[in-house]
Amino acid sequence: MSETATPAKTDQKRAINRLKSMYPLRNLVQQDYIDTLNASNEGKPTVWAMLNYWEGDLPLKAMGLNIVYPENYSTLLASTGSAESFLDASDSDGYPTHLCGYGRSTIGYSYRMMKDLNGRIPPEAPLGGMAKPTLLLGSGIICDARFKWFQALGRYFDAPQWVLEMPMMGTAEGTEPDLEGYQIKFLVRELQAFIAFLEKLLGRKMDWARLEELIDLAVKIHETNWQISELRKSIPGPMHSTDFWSSMPPSLFFAGDMATALKLYQDMLAEVQERVNNKIAGINYPEKYRIVFSELPPWHSLKFFDSLAEKGWNFVFESRGYHAPRPLDFSHVSDPLEKLARLSRNFIFSIHPCALEDGIANPVAEVYLQTAREFKADGFFLHPLISCRAASAGLRSVQDFLMKRLNVPTLWVEGDIIDKRVFNPQETLARAEAFEQTMEHYRKVRKAQGLDW
Amino acid sequence: MVIAMTKGLSLARGVYQDRGLRMRELRKSGKKIIGYICLYPPVEIITALGMIPFRIFGDMNETITAADQVSTTLVCPFLRSIIDLALKGKFNFLDGVVGAHTCDIGAGLILQWRDFVKSPNFSHLLDVPHTDHAPAVDYFEGQINSFKRHLEEFAGQQLTDDKLAKAIELHNTQRKLVRQLYDLRKPDPPLLTSMENLEVLVALFSLPVDEGNELLENVIADVQERKDKPDKKKARLLVWGPVFDNTSLYELIESAGASVVVDDTCVGTRAFWADVKPPYDLHSLAQHYLVDIKCPRTYRQAQPAELKKNYDKDLESRFDYIKKAVTDWKVKGAILQSVKYCDTHGYEVPNLRHYLDGLGIPSLYIEHDYSERSLAPIKTRVEAFVETLG
Ligand code: SF4
Ligand code: SF4
Repeated sequence: MSETATPAKTDQKRAINRLKSMYPLRNLVQQDYIDTLNASNEGKPTVWAMLNYWEGDLPLKAMGLNIVYPENYSTLLASTGSAESFLDASDSDGYPTHLCGYGRSTIGYSYRMMKDLNGRIPPEAPLGGMAKPTLLLGSGIICDARFKWFQALGRYFDAPQWVLEMPMMGTAEGTEPDLEGYQIKFLVRELQAFIAFLEKLLGRKMDWARLEELIDLAVKIHETNWQISELRKSIPGPMHSTDFWSSMPPSLFFAGDMATALKLYQDMLAEVQERVNNKIAGINYPEKYRIVFSELPPWHSLKFFDSLAEKGWNFVFESRGYHAPRPLDFSHVSDPLEKLARLSRNFIFSIHPCALEDGIANPVAEVYLQTAREFKADGFFLHPLISCRAASAGLRSVQDFLMKRLNVPTLWVEGDIIDKRVFNPQETLARAEAFEQTMEHYRKVRKAQGLDW
Repeated sequence: MVIAMTKGLSLARGVYQDRGLRMRELRKSGKKIIGYICLYPPVEIITALGMIPFRIFGDMNETITAADQVSTTLVCPFLRSIIDLALKGKFNFLDGVVGAHTCDIGAGLILQWRDFVKSPNFSHLLDVPHTDHAPAVDYFEGQINSFKRHLEEFAGQQLTDDKLAKAIELHNTQRKLVRQLYDLRKPDPPLLTSMENLEVLVALFSLPVDEGNELLENVIADVQERKDKPDKKKARLLVWGPVFDNTSLYELIESAGASVVVDDTCVGTRAFWADVKPPYDLHSLAQHYLVDIKCPRTYRQAQPAELKKNYDKDLESRFDYIKKAVTDWKVKGAILQSVKYCDTHGYEVPNLRHYLDGLGIPSLYIEHDYSERSLAPIKTRVEAFVETLG
């Protein structure tokens, strides 16, 4: 399989063959932090939002608000090695240490800002910091931290709060015939209330034409990303996971100007297509193993992936929860809020029928079974986190189903998104070496079973 | 002093010690037993359809072994204990299992159950919205309706308005009786211990509602006439937190010289503090479970859509029921306990402690991993805390 793939032109400097189109996308999110700081300095409202799978992002943008995402900012704290003092501040204010690392670092940041510095941005904060929020937008999507941690921030900020709703449920119940109708109705009513709240807060009306424009752009951004993901199934894998993580914010929460983001993703699509045409890999070494990463990466140790790339490990896909879902056809829907509700709901529910068909209850396991088949994965790198239940709880099911159904082995490495003390790169590299033999073995087993990789 | 148990209390202890006993008997007689997880599946519907609701707990004394195959060690140990017992066949008297999206990982437990335990055949997961917004209550009513339809199919009978109203009345009676049971700990010294109280509550979750009500009536009558009362202790405490279904923590606190006189936990008051209000329909159930049960898993604030957050008002709106308990039960200190990895409760801790500070109530936060073993290191901290209350 992948060992026959044509190696990329070796670049002695870097093990990972970064896409040129990734850099301007990465910069878009950085621009958001600067814009939000400027807006705050000019006395304009600024928002801290949790990942909300678009139902909140687009109305906020349509009303011209500058938004930052503490989850994203926390990845920055981790990757620049600046998280620890904020984690300590959260601990000192009495928050349990097992809470989400993103939550703890944001709580610590807020504590520093409001209790130590009288509302000023902590000078140690990278990229100029996050401006003080005038609205906190939590969400009920995927994890409990997303609304509980913002509720906890009421301890530091008098900013109003809103929590966006999103149905979350089991596979079988998710396909009941009348469910879609009343869920959409629920979401539309919630969105109406949210927009009425925003209008009251800001003292101006929603720009509905702008909202429609942004929804159209959102759909196009997702379609383009979907196409990029489809191309990534090629052998060798043309785009490494680290490029995906660096370029995802303009699709995951529409960081930056959306028209610009669409153009940049189209550039990325073209670059990936060109790599596919020329069989160029996302690593500068021959692709020996096609690996899928689940779920959230160790942001503090991304360099670690270089060492694996040198061994021919190409991370061909990753973090399903960060990807745009299969595009929906909205042509029959005219109401913008219904479109928005459908766009967001699609992220949660698109996988349920497939899971049922496969006889699986846990949609996360289903997602990765599909990924393993479509990306012809030799192995999975599973990364359970000490501080995130949502991204860890289903991983044993993923592991079990991959082996039971497809004979795809997994490397289980406990770690964290923020706390680098719990991740041991040396030990993991040693285990990775042994894992290569396991992958070789299961390649033979799969072939003997008639699977094509 | 060792105090003698009343007849009602010893009956409760028997059920507490073998929770499946009565369920197996009832099953033999043809009844269907529906296990449920956490407080949010509306038990009234199960009762109304002629089945028996059985609250599923873990076992703090059973070492988790089987669960390691299907769940990581980095999630709520209470839920891990449940799936462990299920994999070991300890719930084989159940005809169905019902979960709810009380918390994110709690919802995932039902999926694990379907994928790995496989029996019983009937299982249902209710989605529970995260806020108490009006559209969320309507949506939850829809979820209760789909649970009702699914269970009707399984029961082979329709839920009539009359049956539902009768079941709600029975469960409301239970709520009223539990509140009377708690009243028995208002005097100083309390008329029953927190261990006895917990044994009764765990028994209620393990009996059909009418039998539970009879048990409560007996316990209350017996205890009111009890001659040898528990000792007067140094301090009267409130215990807060998620599930705690085992008397060991209360034993630890009481042996440190304090009486636990009231609680805000999901095996204690939370299920019983509010009644389902008329009209007894699915909407009243949605309102009761989503809005009236006060659990940190639901986001609520002082005013819907408020334009400015006032921290003090916010705390008041979230915790004022605790203030009432503090006053009515003459509480002098609080122990906030939580299992590790419980997000819904973990984020609450500093805010609640701050609120209690404002009431002049000192508090201690302790974490454990839902095993009796993990309580041992906590003992000295509890003793030191009780000492300061003297
Ligand atoms: S999904 Fe995990 S990492 Fe993300 S906010 Fe929730 S708990 Fe934190
Ligand atoms: S203890 Fe917390 S995490 Fe565990 S089931 Fe209860 S609410 Fe969920």
